[in-house]
Amino acid sequence: MLLLAVETSTPTSSVALLDRDGAVATASLGLPRRHGEFLAPAVVFCLQQAGRTVEDLTGVAVGTGPGLYTGLRVGMAFAQALAQARRLPVVGLPGLDVMGFSARHTAPTVHAAIDARRGQVFWATYQRVPGGVQRDGDLQVGSVDDLVAEIAAGDRPALIQSGLEGDGALDQVAVHLAARVDRPPLAVDLGLLAMPRFVREETVRPGELDAIYLRRADAKIGWQSRGRLQGGTS
Amino acid sequence: MLVLGIETSCDETAVGIVEDRFTVRSNVVASQVDLHAPFGGVVPEVAARAHLELLQPTIERSLVEAGCRLEDVEAIAVTAGPGLAGALLVGVAGAKGLALGRDLPLLGVNHLRAHVEAAQLEFGELEPPVVALVVSGGHTSLVVLEEPTVDGARPGFRQLGSTIDDAAGEAFDKIARFLGLGYPGGPEIDRLARSGDPTAHDFPRPLAGDGTYNFSLSGLKTAVIRELRRLEAAGREVDLADVAASFQEAIVDVQVDKAVRAATDLGIDTVVMAGGVAANSRLRARMADAMERTGGRLLVPHVQLCTDNGAMVAAAGANLLAAGQVAELSLSADPNMPLADLPPDPAGPTS
Ligand SMILES: [Zn+2]
Repeated sequence: MLLLAVETSTPTSSVALLDRDGAVATASLGLPRRHGEFLAPAVVFCLQQAGRTVEDLTGVAVGTGPGLYTGLRVGMAFAQALAQARRLPVVGLPGLDVMGFSARHTAPTVHAAIDARRGQVFWATYQRVPGGVQRDGDLQVGSVDDLVAEIAAGDRPALIQSGLEGDGALDQVAVHLAARVDRPPLAVDLGLLAMPRFVREETVRPGELDAIYLRRADAKIGWQSRGRLQGGTS
Repeated sequence: MLVLGIETSCDETAVGIVEDRFTVRSNVVASQVDLHAPFGGVVPEVAARAHLELLQPTIERSLVEAGCRLEDVEAIAVTAGPGLAGALLVGVAGAKGLALGRDLPLLGVNHLRAHVEAAQLEFGELEPPVVALVVSGGHTSLVVLEEPTVDGARPGFRQLGSTIDDAAGEAFDKIARFLGLGYPGGPEIDRLARSGDPTAHDFPRPLAGDGTYNFSLSGLKTAVIRELRRLEAAGREVDLADVAASFQEAIVDVQVDKAVRAATDLGIDTVVMAGGVAANSRLRARMADAMERTGGRLLVPHVQLCTDNGAMVAAAGANLLAAGQVAELSLSADPNMPLADLPPDPAGPTS
């Protein structure tokens, strides 16, 4: 077994190769809007370091959001096409689930939150269960105040976050938190969470994946950006 | 030798497969027109979402229609710019996944150049120099494909002029919306104009005699709207067909005049016309007339090769491959990719 994991739904893009024993090679880049340039060379690098080739891959795991729309789409389009090219099974998982899973040792209850811009956060709540975590209810999009209220109402939960560091409202409820971890969803955690699903063959074909946006598309017509199609003259 | 081309620069998710640079094996377009129609224009976030959903099935269908498998494809071409950033990125990422997965060369294609090179799929090798008019919802550009100065190199691509405000297709969309017609506006106005009098209203021909090869359409758009308001205020009944025909005639006049004049000025006898607006029946007819008068040759590919499509990207990619210009896997999408690879002609009238 050799899994490729791809996660690009936050300003951090990362890829990882994993076998049955865990991570074999990983690469990540913390520069926003560089997902597209980074991904393919990063996969080549990881394969080379691991002494493997693309033909050795047996499955592709990819983050399906919610998160930064453009980064998310770059990762999914790349992962889907690679899986299509090698006829590989795919597992898609929300970045929030990956974060909840990676914070499973911090507290019995974990809130995972990703900055959603426009004063909002994407978030979800997880309960520790044997071998991992289980999500309470749906993935959500809401105000930071909604998240703060949930934290204050809970029994010393942990918060794992991406992109929310400087938020004053969150700082004020920090006393209610058992731990506050700043860690984006990473490909290596995604791969670890996805691995049992590949073993159980709970996989899909690449075309069956759907991105999770949690918000309707902005209905602004791109008259302005359409001018760019002129070839840089306007 | 099969090249697969991916096009996602605007509102069409398109994948085409071209054999040996000149033969279309498949050319599948998953149009998003219905998604954007309620807004009367292209919504970038809607387009990007749709590209991601449509890319996989469009690749599959293109392979099926070409009667081949991904294992038979020998290179992956993709539009790298210009275009909408979020839309371009989906295609470029998908192309990299295919290229990496099958260990194939990746070719980063300029969308405007692909429009011009699409002509080789219908008319065979383009013999430079060639003047090309690319008119669509996104572009109104006049370019020249020049003979390579070095043996074996690709022909150079020089920009002669471009619109300084709206693209032709965009002007059609906006006026169609104002007249209460459907989206996209080009075909609607084309249809309505057939029963109208193109001389009924005397709309301006912006930049018509200015000596450059540039276009301007926003003033014309404003003039049409002002004329309609004036007639309404005067209580006059407005014949929309006359308005559509007169507006279309003003656009066509300038396009034809500048394209033909460029060919004459530069002593070039072949003109290629491409882009979605090249489907406009009046523009095709007028351009054909004008070229016949000058004794030149007009190449207008079929509508499926004129509008945004994957085959044109595959053809342009095959040309890049033949010239050894293969892209790295770190290829960036460039929303503002310059049209030309040659500087403007210092002796030309646009300087
Ligand atoms: Zn185009």
